[in-house]
Amino acid sequence: MTDGHLFNNISLGGRGGTNPGQLKIFSGGILWKKQGGGKAIEVDKADIVGVTWMKVPRTNQLGVRTKDGLYYKFTGFRDQDASSLTNYFQNTCGLTPEEKQLSVSGRNWGEVDLNGNMLTFLVGNKQAFEVSLADVSQTQLQGKNDVILEFHVDDTTGANEKDSLMEMSFHIPNSNTQFVGDENHP
Amino acid sequence: GDHRAAARTSTELVAYKNVNDLPPPKDLMIQIDQKNEAVLFPIYGSMVPFHVSTIRTVSSQQDTNRTCCIRIIFNVPGTPFSPHDASSLKVQGSIYLKEVSFRSKDGRHISEVVQMIKTLRRQVMARESERAERAT
Repeated sequence: MTDGHLFNNISLGGRGGTNPGQLKIFSGGILWKKQGGGKAIEVDKADIVGVTWMKVPRTNQLGVRTKDGLYYKFTGFRDQDASSLTNYFQNTCGLTPEEKQLSVSGRNWGEVDLNGNMLTFLVGNKQAFEVSLADVSQTQLQGKNDVILEFHVDDTTGANEKDSLMEMSFHIPNSNTQFVGDENHP
Repeated sequence: GDHRAAARTSTELVAYKNVNDLPPPKDLMIQIDQKNEAVLFPIYGSMVPFHVSTIRTVSSQQDTNRTCCIRIIFNVPGTPFSPHDASSLKVQGSIYLKEVSFRSKDGRHISEVVQMIKTLRRQVMARESERAERAT
């Protein structure tokens, strides 16, 4: 291959779990193909607005944010892949990947960050988990302080997880000032 | 007063110190890590750990169409008997994950998970209350 980088065994993460596939990063953008065919994801270079790296257990995760507000997460990069791709993104796309950190402390209190349609739960400024609000079928306010998010039940996207997330709720104490009277509140 | 509060925070329970301490990735299903006293949940393709002491209750329910639901409720401030108020008070204004529910295709796995969480939680709670008693 003359142009770009090809990686086998890169999983695309999302609502239904992860799917293994092949990722090509080249001057035109990013192309991921599911192993054995089927789903493919293509992001034009011009549509990439941000790139992130995060160290996850035993591997690295690449986050690609598009101008449509979508956010793709690819997992399975070795440390050396991450550094060579960082250079590649800088030289080819003029984007400097941002480093994110994963929280593994196991705490259930932190902050909620909304960016595009992603909701990120942060513990000590590190990311504990992310969910996409595009998959939320319903939100409910329970009492004055609890927000419930119900997720679409989706059996069609090749979900390979045994246990799938249905519902999640957050408790926002009165002492929290981040979301007072905010209409966009999760 | 102050001195004791400091001692209390230093014993705050942490599941993992480093990202690579997490158990090797297996199937995307709820896992219990006895050694690190953690429960790991599959959320968007990642295994997300929670220390068992953050969990308040766990229950499961058999659905009609051969699936099974598990609901985990976490400790949040203002609920009675929430044992970690002391450590959570210091982060006033935080948002809490209060509850997660999962649907599973494997009822046996879910009842195992419920039992294991309950047992682990009991062990950790007993140890912590003993430790707190000794400290006073």
